[in-house]
Amino acid sequence: MVAHPGSARITRTARRLNAPRPALVEAHADGTPRCVNRQGVGVVREEWRVVDRWWTDEPVHRRYFDLVLETGENTVVYHDDDACTWFTQRA
Amino acid sequence: MTYVELHSHSAYSFLDGASLPEELAARAAELGYDALALTDHDGVYGSLEFAHAAKHFGVRAITGAEVTLAGGSHLTLLCESQQGYANLCRILTDAHAGTRVPGKERDLLPAETTLDVLEAHADGLVALSGCARHGLGTVDPNGTARLARAFAGAFYVELQRPYERGDARRNAQLIDLAELLRVPTVATGDVHAHHLRRARLQDALVAIKSRTSLDGCERERRGNHESVLLPPDEMLERLPRDAALRTREVAERCTFDLTQELGYRYPDFSDRVESADVQLHELCAVRFAERYANANGHKRRARARLDDELQLIGKLGLSGFFLLHWEVLELARECALEVRGPGSPRHALPPGRGRGSSVGSIVCYLTGLSHVDPVAAGLSLGRFINEEMVAVPDIDLDFPRDIREKLIVRVTERYGREHAALVASFATYRSRGAIRDVGKALGLPFAELERLARVTDGWDATRVGEELDGVPGTHSGPRWEAFRTLTKEISGLPRHISQHPGGMVISTRPLIDLVPVQPAAMAGRQICQWDKDSCGDAGFLKIDLLGLGMLSAVEDAIDRIARLRGETIDLSRIPLDDAKVFAEIQAADTVGVFQIESRAQMQSLLQTRPENLEDLTVQVALVRPGPIQGKAVHPYVKHRHAKRADPSFEPPVEHECLREPLRDTLGVVVFQDQVLDVAMAAAKFTIGEAEGLRRAMSRKRSEEAIEAFRPRFVEGCLGNGIDEHTAHAIYDKLVGFAGFGFPKSHAAAFGLLAYQSAWLRRYYPAEFLCALLNAQPMGFYPPSSLVRDAQRREVKVLPPQINRSEAECTIEDGAVRIGLGYVASVGEQDARELAAGRPYVDVSDLARRASAKQGALEAIVAAGACDEWGARRQLLWRLGVTARGETVGSGNRQLALPLEPTAEIPELPAQTPWEEMLADYKHTSISVGVHPLELLRPHLPAAVATSADLPETPNGTLIQIAGMAIARQRPATANGIVFMLLEDEHGQSNLIIPPPVYDRYRAIVRGEPLLLARGKLERHDRNVNLLVSELVSLGPLARKAASEAEVTRALPRAHHFGHR
Repeated sequence: MVAHPGSARITRTARRLNAPRPALVEAHADGTPRCVNRQGVGVVREEWRVVDRWWTDEPVHRRYFDLVLETGENTVVYHDDDACTWFTQRA
Repeated sequence: MTYVELHSHSAYSFLDGASLPEELAARAAELGYDALALTDHDGVYGSLEFAHAAKHFGVRAITGAEVTLAGGSHLTLLCESQQGYANLCRILTDAHAGTRVPGKERDLLPAETTLDVLEAHADGLVALSGCARHGLGTVDPNGTARLARAFAGAFYVELQRPYERGDARRNAQLIDLAELLRVPTVATGDVHAHHLRRARLQDALVAIKSRTSLDGCERERRGNHESVLLPPDEMLERLPRDAALRTREVAERCTFDLTQELGYRYPDFSDRVESADVQLHELCAVRFAERYANANGHKRRARARLDDELQLIGKLGLSGFFLLHWEVLELARECALEVRGPGSPRHALPPGRGRGSSVGSIVCYLTGLSHVDPVAAGLSLGRFINEEMVAVPDIDLDFPRDIREKLIVRVTERYGREHAALVASFATYRSRGAIRDVGKALGLPFAELERLARVTDGWDATRVGEELDGVPGTHSGPRWEAFRTLTKEISGLPRHISQHPGGMVISTRPLIDLVPVQPAAMAGRQICQWDKDSCGDAGFLKIDLLGLGMLSAVEDAIDRIARLRGETIDLSRIPLDDAKVFAEIQAADTVGVFQIESRAQMQSLLQTRPENLEDLTVQVALVRPGPIQGKAVHPYVKHRHAKRADPSFEPPVEHECLREPLRDTLGVVVFQDQVLDVAMAAAKFTIGEAEGLRRAMSRKRSEEAIEAFRPRFVEGCLGNGIDEHTAHAIYDKLVGFAGFGFPKSHAAAFGLLAYQSAWLRRYYPAEFLCALLNAQPMGFYPPSSLVRDAQRREVKVLPPQINRSEAECTIEDGAVRIGLGYVASVGEQDARELAAGRPYVDVSDLARRASAKQGALEAIVAAGACDEWGARRQLLWRLGVTARGETVGSGNRQLALPLEPTAEIPELPAQTPWEEMLADYKHTSISVGVHPLELLRPHLPAAVATSADLPETPNGTLIQIAGMAIARQRPATANGIVFMLLEDEHGQSNLIIPPPVYDRYRAIVRGEPLLLARGKLERHDRNVNLLVSELVSLGPLARKAASEAEVTRALPRAHHFGHR
């Protein structure tokens, strides 16, 4: 049986795809990550920056890093310069 | 210092660069750069400005451009040598050659060049493979390989690090490509702003260019604020090190200096058998014999003046310059003959006439460049040419518009499309454009933006934020905050290129080796990429071929008088002392008269009461910012009063040595030449020094430059026996003049035309009005006011009528018949075709046969041009149900069958007088019938005065007056005071609105066509003004009186002058 779109069951399970999640990051002095969620960073593959939506109530000011962790896992983290917080997001 | 920025865009990349060239240059110096390249998109519009600014700041300017190739890829080109610069100009000229399609010149296509053109013009240029997003290296590796061969030894693969995702992969691929092609890499920053604080504006400009909002152009924007000019050390850290260090090598190759001699020469007639001096001597000798054959009294003086002048011209090497202008005027003569047609009554008129200081030259008079005999008129030469001049002088020529149109194309054909072009001008952001463009980019509500745009002062976009505070409503939040900041920052930035009103440059060497040339928006015309300042800095000779509406009007009037009355008028032979003409001038009855029709001129005329052409010459020059700021107007008026009362009156002067230079202007400085005369008489300046002072005064932001002359002036005065206090007082008087003023020769030329137009107005009022209406837009008054004024002087004006009107206004049985071209939405071509298709039997016949669009025909009916066939509403209904012909094939017309509509036209109510009058204004901007105030008068309180009551009202009386706003002035020299002209059914009245009242009633002053003003009547001698304390919109009352008809939008808007 298909649930009604407005039913409580649907509302509970709906969530944003690829939503950023807070991350525990230790960084070098120049801001590049050294450790992500207690895993050492093997390689910083790339860095890019996003400054956008400055004309709205929710400006975006981020520094992204595409990393290979020492475990061999790929991950993307970013530092939100306004919130001074690190997040991970699937690449 | 090792890194040099080789890729930067200024605002001359038009909506893809947020800083002016001088801002980039200043910031580069501040950050420690010793060289910087400017590489705007497809142009060198700002390169000379940049080169001069960079030199000033001690930064070496590298000239270049980022060119677009077919397909949209980009290539960065930098000039190594003069040959390279010439090649760049040719490449850019080619890139723009196809941007205007014949027949659709208004639509601008993107510039693009080809690999073939680049290969053929590689000499002297260094090529970099282009930017990260669109660079040739990224987009087209095969094309890159071709150019690497063509630019052998001068080709670099360009690496950038804009901190976008994918930088690493792209740069790795580019490095691979460089290795494959065996060329080096070089790093650049792709700078789009001189400072981080301008980066937001760059985002907004991208949105404006994409014609969308910031939210809607995420792909086009860069996504971050990294494309700004950063310190060299930071760039070295950010970019691949060897590529970054190689920027120094490239910069050292590019030694071309744009500020140095470009190799420009104007056609100077040196290629003929005789020298230019001899040719000019011979030409003047022949003309002298003709012009002075019957001269009595001053022939000998004229001969001596000619000899002196020719000697000076020879010494300055300017004979070719005069011959070139003479040749252009001969071309104008040919054009005039074609435009006027053989046997035209206009044949007695010269093709054009000089203005400006050249009118003081007898050589100009003899070669036809001026129509005023400088010896008879007592005009001096010094301001035009003198022994110490360093630049070529300016000669401005005025032409009727139709002759000028032809002449511009003819000059291009005569000297060749590679040798002649119009000077560019750059439309820059002012308030209204800033409000609309920035507001739209930020996604702000359209209605709010339009409300602000209507009340803005118009010119200075830096004040938009303050003006926003005065608009009711809530304007808070990040978008509005950004709006305040960005409108300020965008102020003064160039938005697009357009053409100068008439400046042309002509070059012996192909112009396209000196500056790129591109097609203009008007067919047959082309413009160079530099504006008049850059052309001046490059030493280009600029010939100003200006269109003067009054010359067109005068020619039209003379033509009509000859055709209708059989009277041939030679304006050079009319009496110059006609008492009736001067009586009208003295009474300020001058609506429509050249130069002396404005509200300020009228007020001044009542005081000065000119009695002859010399007085008129002063009058024309008196009401200008220079004499006004120099506080010359009131003393001049006072001294004229005194002189009238006592002819032996001698006006006071600061020092006896000033008496002679200021004799004609009763002790005050009115003409530019007098600045020179005073400086020479008081401080013993040489003519060159004095001209230097005058030039300093005419420059923008010239305070420092003017003050630099003060010590030398005071010292000169002391040496001349003038005490220090008086010396400063005299200098202050000159400094006060620093605003815009006329040279006497220019005023004499304009004064003569003012008199000639006043004479035509006095003796041929109908023909003169007709000609004025056909020459619009021009002058101070809207056409509706010209019509009302003529009607008050008993000229009969008839409305447009489909079976009687021509395309333009005509004379019909002594009355002026409004032309079909005056009906809004009827184009010139439509109007001509409609007139050619006459007679029409009825509105159905008109609908079937006319090719004009339905909207145009409806406007014709609504404007009353078909009233002979019945009531307008009935006719509109019939028009709507008539089957119309169709255009088929190559413009042929398939007529519809003359079938009558099957349904009867219902009875429709007749239009009220209000509705008819409003429809007239709405559709033609003119109403020849009842004045709106005549209809409104019964609804106004009895205490409201009319303009006819004012002459009898005592000074100081509190009164109220109602009228239609016809002109509004906010002169920069009036400290925020606004002057308005109200028109009612009897005439005009003057309002003075002080700044606090203006601030309170700004929306009414700026937007309401009908208003009621309350205030105190002020009478000064013959001038009557209402000093306004309160304003009321009459819009609601008029709407009620007009049975809810839309009044405000139908009535014409007042003409606005000066600051907005």
